[in-house]
Amino acid sequence: MSPTQMIDEARRLGRASLDELSGKKLLAQFGVAVPPSVVVMPGEKATGRLAGIKPPYVVKVMSPAILHKSDVGGVRVRLTSAAEVDAAIGTMLASPGIKGQPLDGFLVEEMASGGEEIVIGGLRDRQFGPLVMVGLGGIFVEVLKDVAFRICPIERIDALEMLDELKGKALLEGARGRAPVSVDAIVDVLLKIAGDDGLLMSLRDEIAEADLNPVIVSAHGATAVDARFILAPNAGRS
Amino acid sequence: MMPGSQVLESFEPLFAPKTIAVAGASATSMSAANVFIRRMREFGYSGKIFPIHPSAPAVDGYPAYRSLGETPEPIDYAYISVPAAHIPKMLASAAGRVRFAQVISSGFGEVDEGKALQDELVAAARAGGSRLLGPNCLGLYSPRGRVTFVENGAATIGTVGIISQSGGLGTDIVRRGHARGLRYSAVVTVGNSADLGPNDLLEYYLHDPQTRVIGIYLEAVKDGRRMFELLKTHRAAKPVVLLKGGRTQQGRLAAASHTGSLAGDDRVWVALSRQTGCILVDTLDQFLDTLLIFQSLTPRADRPTREVAMFGNGGGTSVLATDLFARLGILVTPFARPTLAALEALKLPPGTSITNPIDTPVGTLQQEEGRVAEKILDAVFSTSDPQALVMHLNMAAFVGRTKTDVMGNLMQAALRVQERFPGRAHFVLALRSDGEPDIEARKREFRSAAIALGIPVYDEMMNVGWALSALAAHERFLARGMLDKV
Repeated sequence: MSPTQMIDEARRLGRASLDELSGKKLLAQFGVAVPPSVVVMPGEKATGRLAGIKPPYVVKVMSPAILHKSDVGGVRVRLTSAAEVDAAIGTMLASPGIKGQPLDGFLVEEMASGGEEIVIGGLRDRQFGPLVMVGLGGIFVEVLKDVAFRICPIERIDALEMLDELKGKALLEGARGRAPVSVDAIVDVLLKIAGDDGLLMSLRDEIAEADLNPVIVSAHGATAVDARFILAPNAGRS
Repeated sequence: MMPGSQVLESFEPLFAPKTIAVAGASATSMSAANVFIRRMREFGYSGKIFPIHPSAPAVDGYPAYRSLGETPEPIDYAYISVPAAHIPKMLASAAGRVRFAQVISSGFGEVDEGKALQDELVAAARAGGSRLLGPNCLGLYSPRGRVTFVENGAATIGTVGIISQSGGLGTDIVRRGHARGLRYSAVVTVGNSADLGPNDLLEYYLHDPQTRVIGIYLEAVKDGRRMFELLKTHRAAKPVVLLKGGRTQQGRLAAASHTGSLAGDDRVWVALSRQTGCILVDTLDQFLDTLLIFQSLTPRADRPTREVAMFGNGGGTSVLATDLFARLGILVTPFARPTLAALEALKLPPGTSITNPIDTPVGTLQQEEGRVAEKILDAVFSTSDPQALVMHLNMAAFVGRTKTDVMGNLMQAALRVQERFPGRAHFVLALRSDGEPDIEARKREFRSAAIALGIPVYDEMMNVGWALSALAAHERFLARGMLDKV
């Protein structure tokens, strides 16, 4: 499905946002790396379906009714085998916050290896059109609001200046004994999201808000581990 | 986007109108429109004035006409200050004969009950074939066309173009700005911007050869994307200084995402500034100070301002200014050995500090009628390479102590050194006064002389710091553009 087909499909189903799998497919279509994954439906088994996905695994519930997956026990990480994945899904199906909810299935993903967590976001401003945001993950975004915004489209130099603007930038460069991460990889994702022909410009009438939270960055690359796209309520297309 | 020549041509009748209609002037009393007519006459407007009046045969000595459609010649600029409810009908009657109508009256979109009337106003202007400025504004100041909405507008045609969404602030900008040395190409108050708005005038100023610096006071922008694109396209070719009101409002309470909740109203303006090189300021003082430095000095992309030499009388002032400048990214770095050696060789009297900042008591400055300063600056520039020279003079210390014009000599000395080291350092002057009338008078006189020589003059070092940091930011942006192309 093309990006607009995916969005039309979500709208047809009356959804205000894309489910995680569609969001990641969207990212992949714009060249942003996402973890290899499969969807296991309730009643199905993961066993035998995880070829090409390396352990450890992550399992996440997908439901249009569940906004905060972790709060209802809908995320499990560091699972080492298909059997553990199946057990985790079984537990989720029985848990009170998930049982009885409409389910799109369970997303089983390769768990991203270590690195710094960053957040990349998008927002459609009434006056200025699409904006892009970047920040460091965890308390830097949550508590310190250490983020930088730009108006799309951005150029490479804008992406670099956005990172320079972050007070916590030293963490990307290997402060406090951490391994330095690839700034190029972050810039690359920012341009794929917010560049001239990036996701936010291409879908400027469709996407109201976007959170890629977190994107895990290592010395070698960046992977969007979670993605949320909120659709614009009254898109111009029919 | 319209080609530049077309933009200029379309606005020509506004900035240099050959015919003006005035609605709202009274035949028997003194209204705002009568005052406008008087000011126009005093300002030396040489075109024709046609008062519009429902019954009087003449207003202020000019034959009056019943409607905009009945004047003997088409109208370039109509000044309209009658009760709001009458205006749509008046504009609809223009019959394509009025190019620009500026509606001064309020009672439109700025109040809930006037929103419908504003829509009606826009439709009427369109039907009557006029472009609309305002409503809810004060008018236009255009020295090239001898049009003024302020009392005693200066006749000098300058290089600073202003757009103000507030009329009152527009008056402050014209009058205070002029007192500080700003010389305007034009000041337009746009009020509610029901038709023509800040972006249209920004586009004009970007093309206008008379305008070299642009200042905008903005409360709300209707099409931020167009502003972004206009500024981006012109790549900071002219410095644009933006005073944005309402930046602390919380505009996104309904955000569904994390990103949405983090995007306060202010973030997008910071982004705009970073991406287009426009300078964002917080106060009217900063706005005027920043415009003044751009009016006076040519930004240097090849040497963005970072290190300055500071020179003057007043140790505490130097110390405090050094701290403030550092916080603004402007460094008063102590001189290296060769410069210190050159300054030591001058054998200046005791009490003179020759590290940077150079602090010189008035006694030293008075020596050889101020020519000691020239030797000091020569020593600095021949042995070091600051991007700016800031001279600060505490005027009270000079008054009554000397018969010769030491301050004049000091300024001339600095200018001669500038000439000997061309293209090296911006020169900025702070004239510090204690507010006593005789010192204020002397300062005013001295400021005019300095401004005429192209030297920006400030009241305090704080103002110098703001202005220099804005200049530096603009220069860095220009330098970034050069890197981009490599």
